[in-house]
Amino acid sequence: MKTRILGAVALIAVAAMVLVALFVVPADLNQGDAQRIMYPHVASAWLGYLSFGVTAAAGIGWLWKRDMRFDAVALSAAEIGVVFTAFAIWGGMMWGDPVWGVMWQWEDPRLTTTALLLALYVGYLLLRHLTDDPERRATRAAIVGIVAAVDIPIVHFSVEWWRGLHQTATIGSPDRVLNPAAPMVFVGTLLGMLAAFTLAWVYLMIRRYQLARLEVEREEAARVERLMSRHETAEVAR
Amino acid sequence: MTDAGYVIAAYGVIIGGLALYAFSLMRRLASKRDHHDEAR
Amino acid sequence: MSALRHEASLALAIARKDALAELRGRHAAVSTLFFAAVVLLLFGFALGPDAQRLADAAPGLLWLALVFAGVLAVNRLHLLETDDGALEQLALYPITRRAIYAGKAVGGFVVMLVLGLIVLGAVGILFAVDVAGAVLPLVATVVLGAVGIAAVGTFYAGVTVRLRAREVMLPLLMLPVLAPLLLGAVKATAAALSGDPFGELGAWLQLLVAYDVIMLVAGAATYGYLLED
Repeated sequence: MKTRILGAVALIAVAAMVLVALFVVPADLNQGDAQRIMYPHVASAWLGYLSFGVTAAAGIGWLWKRDMRFDAVALSAAEIGVVFTAFAIWGGMMWGDPVWGVMWQWEDPRLTTTALLLALYVGYLLLRHLTDDPERRATRAAIVGIVAAVDIPIVHFSVEWWRGLHQTATIGSPDRVLNPAAPMVFVGTLLGMLAAFTLAWVYLMIRRYQLARLEVEREEAARVERLMSRHETAEVAR
Repeated sequence: MTDAGYVIAAYGVIIGGLALYAFSLMRRLASKRDHHDEAR
Repeated sequence: MSALRHEASLALAIARKDALAELRGRHAAVSTLFFAAVVLLLFGFALGPDAQRLADAAPGLLWLALVFAGVLAVNRLHLLETDDGALEQLALYPITRRAIYAGKAVGGFVVMLVLGLIVLGAVGILFAVDVAGAVLPLVATVVLGAVGIAAVGTFYAGVTVRLRAREVMLPLLMLPVLAPLLLGAVKATAAALSGDPFGELGAWLQLLVAYDVIMLVAGAATYGYLLED
């Protein structure tokens, strides 16, 4: 019941922030209306990274406590993380074309790191999908998630170095929105969108977690049933 | 494509995608719960 | 202190066992090498025939060839285990999992190092870049790159033991994680070949060292969990 209320609140919050971002906030002086894309783009990216952190942390939790609930959290965070990361990349591309003139740019460390994040997520989910034994799956996923999380800051750092040494000025930058010196209305809208999206994230996490727990129960039940029927056949054979 | 086109494409996919994912989750949950109760 | 030495000697024993197995099945090591050569040839077809463009691209092509060949080499090294369950038998012995990881990684490193040096020479010839003029930094880069590929490859080979669709999952998991190594190695190679005009060689080599250390630690710390099942 509380979850349903959360869902409703999240829905209203997102809808309200979308309206604000599209119709209330003024357009950027340099980037025009395209800058409005930054709000959901940044929010999605933030949640994509948060999800990844949760996946890695939940993996540590599983390795430490061997409680399957940690694994359910890890799976939920990974699946939701893929969704938000994909949104972030799409938003980045839709913003890049009008502002940069290209949909993709290699030197933006955020863009490249986020693309790699997506690749790591997909690998993580495929690995889970291909492993049948629940405990082995949880263990494999946990260590892959941890190593991938360790890799992400290295990637970001090295791409920043890459850009720094190349020294090209980018024409327009997301920094206008992220810069603390930006007009309050921009920052406020961004924070509002972030908050609304985070509410939605929490709601989705709860639902996905519930689903994951149900799926585990189903798996267990099916396993027990198979063992039982084998036992019965053996009994009859005697 | 005008700027408006990009904005619509961005918001459309992101918000629409969120909604789609939320709906699919709710559907998967509902069907799992039905089976769960049936099995008992 | 003697416990550490014990561990190290066991790691070396594993490395030696793997290396001997590789040498006996020499055709496999050689075919990995030829794979790298074929990849270089295809690069030539794809990006040539303009010699300048190939020379400019040479650092990237070198490391792409090594990374792809590395996936194959690592895959093979651990195949030797899965076929007869040797990996599980190893885990039964009272040696630390860290030693197992270290041993396998050392074996992988030796393979990658030999591969890397040969491919480096081949790139010098095929794409007309002056390898001889910058031997020291280039070899250093190859060494550091080989360590990283071995560390990461050994880890993911362990993860994908007995995994379905292993042939595609191993590269799919390994390659994104190798991105910073690829970047660092390519930039270091390019800097070395061009005489390091911006003085960035040192920085890229440091990145490689940091990457290697982090990945070795992460791999060694988590590899043990893989052997538990």
